[in-house]
Amino acid sequence: MAKSSYLKPDTIALHSGYVPESDHGSRAVPVYQTTSYVFESVSDASSLFNVEQGGHIYSRITNPTVAVLEQRIAALEGGSGAICTASGMSALFTTFITLCSAGDHIVSSAQIYGSTATLLKHTIKRLGIECSFVPINDEKALREAIQDNTKMVFCESIGNPGLEIADIPNIAKVAHEFGIPVVVDATFATPALCRPIEHGADIIVHSVTKWIGGHGVAVGGVIVDGGQLDWSASGRFPELTEPYAPFHGIKFWEEFGPSALAMKIRAESMRDVGATLSPHNAFLILQGIETLSLRMKQHVANAHTMVEWLQAQEEVTWVNHPEMESSPSHHLAPVLFPEGAGSMLCFGVVGGRAGGAAFINALQLASNLANVGDSRTLVLHPGSTTHSRLTPEDMIAAGISEDMIRVSVGIEDIKDIKADFQRGFKAASRIAGEG
Amino acid sequence: MELQVNGRKVYAATGGKEFDAKLPTVLFIHGSGLDHRSWALQTRWFAYNGYSVLAPDFPGHSLSEGDALTSIEAQGQWLVDFLDAANVNRVHAVGHSQGFLCALELAKNAAGKVASLSGIGTAAAIPVNPALIETALESSSKAADLMLQWGFGQNAQMGISAVPGMQPIAIGRQIMVSNPLAVDLQACANYESGETVAESLNIPTQLVLAGQDRMTPLKAGKAMAKTMNAEVTVIDNYGHMLPIEAPKRCLQSLRDFIGSIEHSE
Ligand SMILES: Cc1ncc(COP(=O)(O)O)c(C=O)c1O
Repeated sequence: MAKSSYLKPDTIALHSGYVPESDHGSRAVPVYQTTSYVFESVSDASSLFNVEQGGHIYSRITNPTVAVLEQRIAALEGGSGAICTASGMSALFTTFITLCSAGDHIVSSAQIYGSTATLLKHTIKRLGIECSFVPINDEKALREAIQDNTKMVFCESIGNPGLEIADIPNIAKVAHEFGIPVVVDATFATPALCRPIEHGADIIVHSVTKWIGGHGVAVGGVIVDGGQLDWSASGRFPELTEPYAPFHGIKFWEEFGPSALAMKIRAESMRDVGATLSPHNAFLILQGIETLSLRMKQHVANAHTMVEWLQAQEEVTWVNHPEMESSPSHHLAPVLFPEGAGSMLCFGVVGGRAGGAAFINALQLASNLANVGDSRTLVLHPGSTTHSRLTPEDMIAAGISEDMIRVSVGIEDIKDIKADFQRGFKAASRIAGEG
Repeated sequence: MELQVNGRKVYAATGGKEFDAKLPTVLFIHGSGLDHRSWALQTRWFAYNGYSVLAPDFPGHSLSEGDALTSIEAQGQWLVDFLDAANVNRVHAVGHSQGFLCALELAKNAAGKVASLSGIGTAAAIPVNPALIETALESSSKAADLMLQWGFGQNAQMGISAVPGMQPIAIGRQIMVSNPLAVDLQACANYESGETVAESLNIPTQLVLAGQDRMTPLKAGKAMAKTMNAEVTVIDNYGHMLPIEAPKRCLQSLRDFIGSIEHSE
């Protein structure tokens, strides 16, 4: 188990990574809105460039405000370090290209966010990196998919869109037999509900755009290095164990051990790709993270109430939430998500594709948009939007049905959410009655 | 680099540059349960600024093979053997905590090889609470947790890091839990001749001590400084893990002190 702090999570969320600075005593984390940092001397500059000391050079690589967020998230997850990025997608891309080169291979869960699937299936394929998709909790399929050139097993702690819980301890057991790291996109749960490193995961990625930021105001991502994998014993990662030419042949594993990967990402991807989080966005996300566990408790409480309530509504044909007994992975919820398995849920509404559209159109409180993890309740009808071009058969293959409504349950008063949904049900049943 | 000492493979960090025995050599000696990585932010500077660096992992620690050595005396003798294996005749020895006790033993056994001594976060004796040793024998992770809570000062406990984005406590913990912490702690607890050895040495010495040190209290460090007639630098507001918590200020003290000796010769 990796541990980064002896403070309790709620305290970490408010304090970690920052103590009031000495010049002015600013209690809040200041926004260091600067591109660059004055060197004390030429020799100081040269020693910073040569990683002889820590410090800031240029905000594409590090920034003091961003570093506070990084250290705070690393502490919340129990990792050895973290790197923030411009978005969740750039966090994923950065992770993939740090661990994989042309000719390498990834095993991924088949149930993942659409853009991540496209990134794996098409974009990095153009760079010569192949990906096999498997039902991630099928141990046999996972084992069979691992090849000599496999560099990671990737999954989401709660998969998209089927809301399946990944059996992280078992996935880690299998991957580690081969010396392969497990990369978990933990966006849907946040460290307030699940800390995958404690269950054997090696690298955690978040879209901090979502619940971690929590207010729908800033796009951002983060990669957390769990620091538990022995990259040398793995034998699969010469990029981390052999000399790295751009830094005088530095060997990341030998020099940095548990933070080797984070240091490599910083030294290579942040320098060469530069998918940097802006200091102002880091500041906004820090405001959100301070109340993370309070918000997550309310998100989960509201989601639990909605799950029960929806099941009792006539217009609802089915409901899915990771903790429901009908969910094939619900037995994992008490182990991995003792405080509740998030606030995403899906349900079917009467009237098919048209019924789903009518439901959404009738809502006045919940927002119809393509995001999740805002404090406000968000809804989407995949059949009319993200998946509108699919045939009913292709939709089923993607784990989506025509009548499906996706809900990111917010923290409004539950009575108001229910009242709003009742408007939607009326509209959907009108369509169903016509049909 | 890797070398053989007493028939076992030993790893020593060289600061990212090939070791060159012709240059003045700085030997960095890690503390209990740690490894060469506690010197990451000092070794590279020396290696790139006119020195050669050796920062070995003691036997049975991190990248070095073998069984852990059970006494400070044995560790000090091992350092003599290690320098022989590396063909080094003269070093500036830098030790953190237990590492400085080993440096004292090295100097006792091979005084002619030690041009200077630098101790960081240390004292002539490092008594260890028997309960901590017992805990370490049962569970290195529980003992590491106790050590890290006492060892790192308040800033580090608040998640402050000299390297942006990193969490030194997690890094230290990961290293400690897989190393023979209990053996190291027992060796510290049993070592009683620190004061006598320190008194007997006539080698330029400096001590860099931490204001918030709860493992080797400032008072004990200052007492040893008196015994050794050592230069003292006190870094306030940091804990026992000075090389990691306040790397730049440690480096500055080491640069100034070792540099002054090199340039006076
Ligand atoms: C699970 C998951 N991962 C990654 C992303 C991508 O994050 P971003 O939009 O911040 O790039 C999303 C966005 O919706 C997501 O839901």
